Parts: sequence; C-alpha cells; structure tokens
Amino acid sequence: MLKLNNVEVKYVGVILVLRGVSLEIRDGTIIALLGSNGAGKTTTLKAISGLLRTELGEVTAGTIEYDGSRIDNQNPEEVAKRGIIQVMEGRKVLGHLTAEENLVLGGYIVKKASLKKDLDMVYDYFPRLKNLRNATSGYLSGGEQQMLVMGRAMMAHPKIMLLDEPSLGLAPLLVDEIYEIVARFNAEEKTSVLIVEQNARAALSVSEYSYVMENGRVVLDGPSSKLADNEDIKEFYLGLSKLGEKKSFREVKHYKRRKRWL
Amino acid sequence: MEFFGKIVAAGLMNGAIYGLVAVGFVLIYKSSSVLNFSQGYMLLLGAYIFWSFRAALRLDLLLSLLLTLPTAFLMGIMIERLTLRPLIGQSLLSMISVTIFLSLVLEGVVSLFWGTYPLQQVTIFPKGSLKFGKTILTAESLFAFGLALVVMMALILFFRYTRLGLAMRGVAEGHQIVQSMGISVKRILTVCWGIAGVAATLGGILLGGTLGFQLGLSHIGLLAIPAAFIGGLESPEGAILGGLMIGLIESIVSGYLGKAAGVPATYIVLIVVMLFKPYGFFGLERIERV
Repeated sequence: MLKLNNVEVKYVGVILVLRGVSLEIRDGTIIALLGSNGAGKTTTLKAISGLLRTELGEVTAGTIEYDGSRIDNQNPEEVAKRGIIQVMEGRKVLGHLTAEENLVLGGYIVKKASLKKDLDMVYDYFPRLKNLRNATSGYLSGGEQQMLVMGRAMMAHPKIMLLDEPSLGLAPLLVDEIYEIVARFNAEEKTSVLIVEQNARAALSVSEYSYVMENGRVVLDGPSSKLADNEDIKEFYLGLSKLGEKKSFREVKHYKRRKRWL
Repeated sequence: MEFFGKIVAAGLMNGAIYGLVAVGFVLIYKSSSVLNFSQGYMLLLGAYIFWSFRAALRLDLLLSLLLTLPTAFLMGIMIERLTLRPLIGQSLLSMISVTIFLSLVLEGVVSLFWGTYPLQQVTIFPKGSLKFGKTILTAESLFAFGLALVVMMALILFFRYTRLGLAMRGVAEGHQIVQSMGISVKRILTVCWGIAGVAATLGGILLGGTLGFQLGLSHIGLLAIPAAFIGGLESPEGAILGGLMIGLIESIVSGYLGKAAGVPATYIVLIVVMLFKPYGFFGLERIERV
C-alpha cells in the first residue's frame, strides 16, 4: 500500500506546488487523479517516483510511505527497484533504439532469465508492438509509442504503475483500447495503477476510486462511480449540465459559472 | 608509389590511434552530452603512468600494461567523480568549460611529477616489418591498426548485445527516462569515463612508443576531436573510421605538401564534411516527426 500524507512539494526551494496532498493506493486497485492544468497531478506522481529530484523539486513536508517504509526524497532508481514505475507524460520513448530494445531496457532491473517470457507478455497485451519490434521507436505513431512506453513499464513487473496522461493526443478509439489494456493488466498482474488524466470520462470508468486536485490540494475524493454522478464533476470534467444532457451552446449563459472548491 | 604506400601506412597507424582516443570522446558525449576537451590530457597522464611502470620501475611489458589499464579506468572514474559529478543538473556549458580547465590541471599534474622534459624512450613493439610488394609495414603500425580494429569490434558488439551497452545507449537518449526505469545514470556515466580513460591511455601508450613520452602527446589528443565529429559524435565505429580518415589526410597532405600543411588540412576536411553531413557519417540524426 502506498500512502501520501500531507505531502508538500517545493521547486527550487521557493515555488510551492503541492500544499498537503493525502492519498492512498491499496494493493491491486486502480486510482484516478483528476484535475485541471497546473493542479499538481504530475508533480504528485513525480513526488512518488522520486523523479522530482531530477528537476530541483523536493518533498518539504509530509510523508510518502510504501509498505511501511518512507520513500519520499529517495533516488528515482531506488524507488523503481522497489516496484514503483512511472510512465511519464508525452510518450518518452528512447527514440534511436528499436521498440524491442526499449522493452529490454524496461526490464533492466528484473532478472535476465525471464526476459523472453516478459517480452511475450508485453506482446500479448500489445500485439501491434510485436510486428514493430525492430522499428526505430522514434518513428512510431503516437499510439504505438504510448503502447511502447506502457509495455516498457510492464517489463519491470511493477507493484504500482504511475500512468501520466496515457490518453494525451490519441484518437478516442485508441484511448478505449489503452484503458481496456490497463484494466486487464491490473486484473491479471495485480498491479495497482495510479492514473493521472484530463480525460475524466475514461479515467472514471476504469478506476475504483478517484481524487480531484485543484491548486495543489485534493479537493474531492470518493469512489469513481459516485464521483461520476457528482454535479460539479459532471459540469466541469464531463461537459454535461443538468442530468446527463449534452450542453447546449445556444442556451449557454454569458457569464461562466466558476466553482470554488474550498 | 613506394612513397605513397609508406605515407598511407603511417597515416593508418596514426589514424587508428586518433580513432581510439576519439572513442573515449564519443562515449562521454554519448552518455552525457559533454564534450570532453581534456581527453588529450587523459591520454598524456595515462601514457606517463605506463612509462612509470615500464621504464621507472622496469616492469615487464605485459605486466605494466596490466597495471596501467585498470589505473587508467580508475583515472577516468576519479576525474568524473571529482569534477563533473558535482555539476550534474548544471548547464552543459559549465560542464564543458570544466573539461577545458581540467586539461590545464592534468598537464600541471604531469609536469609536476614527471617534469617537462621528454622522458627516456621506451620500446613497446618488437622491431620488425612486413613487406607487401614495395610497401613496408612496420610492426608498430600493424599493432596499432590491429588494436584499433579489435577495440572497434568489441565496442560494436558491446553496444549491440549487452545489457550494459544497451543501457548506455539508453542514457544517451535522456537521463530522466532511464532513471524512471530504475537504471542508475551515475553508474553508467562512471563506466563511460572509465572506458574513456582506458581508450585514451591505450592511444597514449601507442603514441609514446613511436613519438616518445613527452608533453606534446596531448596535442595529438586534440586531433581526436575532428575524428569524432567526422565519424558522428554518437558512434564509436564512426569515431574509429573518422580517426583513420584524419590520419590518412594528415599523412598524405604532409607527405606531399610539407609537414605544416597536415593538421590544418584535417580541419578543412572537417569543415567540408560538416557542411554536407552535419551529423557526421555515422551520427544519429535528430528524429523529427511531423
């Protein structure tokens, strides 16, 4: 179980980005983290994975506990070795390496003996990658690259996978496909997944529990099915107004309703 | 024709050494984007360390090599630890400037311990030669050439087929990405600097055997820079080929046009190559998808 307790993050010692974030990921669950741009979602992921430290950020207060021991401000490679793997936003493939080489590196921290088996597992989740194994990954399409970086994370057999905006810039059909695979991976490998998303509909449908962040704080949390019924979530994240109707732009008011969450 | 054969042989030998030194240069650039201008001075220090084992302590040739190469590996690691490790996360410019000033420090260290005069000559290679028609190949040039080829093959295989080699190529793509996969960038950089130290030292020993052990050896290290650029900054095999090319050009031009023309000619070729192949012959092109 991963537990964030009142985590505060500062960049370069002065820029306060997270102001006390608490959340919990129980083993084997899918959790969604929603929020607008700049709310602190990605920073939360980086605080967990330790990548914050590569960007002059640090956890200045609060604790991040994983299976009973603290991992805040540990090196990213140590956190990864403990089984927490972050899939960064923006399809960060190792461009000049082939797809398969990317995957092999993803499994760098697990035993070499299982390499073949692990590759087959990833190709089973993403059959399309099998045909592209020898293609230079920098030239793959956006969807293929997203599959590749997720497959690369799977190679490490993570206990917790931190997924940062897997749907970014992908066609709706592909988004559905990728979320199906996330759900399957979670069910079969018992890996917990923490998804950061702008695409609230997709994230709410696949997750068990969700948190909504605003301005560096968690402002709302609850079981995803409940949140999907929440009036504010509907209006601000799902683009619906009044029970389930599509928003009519003809009747839209000239002032914008703003929500103060706190 | 006889003359031509001779200068080609000499050029290939020197070129092989430039290539070796350039490999170290490329490894460091590849893994950390730092242009290590002190490569020539690592060569100098490495060569002098070898000289101490071989000439000052009068050890066996093989034994001195066995002692020198691990020391060179350590030298590379120490340099990285002491000068560049504290700068991780700082701008590239400051890291590159450090390598420039590091050269002065290394030169100072060498002249402090060994003095500024050329050291006593040490023979490394058996004197002997092979005749192909009218061209005479000395054992020295054959050894240097063979060694460069072996190192090149070993590195190609290393990068293609081992996990560590693959990880090094991964590190070259982006530090944060490989860190997110649990690979320690620091460890990889350490190994790269170690290998660079060994490559420079090997080149230094080969050069010292022919030119004598003297402070001027470091200038040869500078020729590794155009070699690396021509071959492509990311490619060890390109570095060796670039080295051979630079060696040939230098030797042919200085053979026919006079000694002073040799080195400038290599830089002219460098500029011409850069105009038409900005990434060098084997460099990685920037991947841009539209």
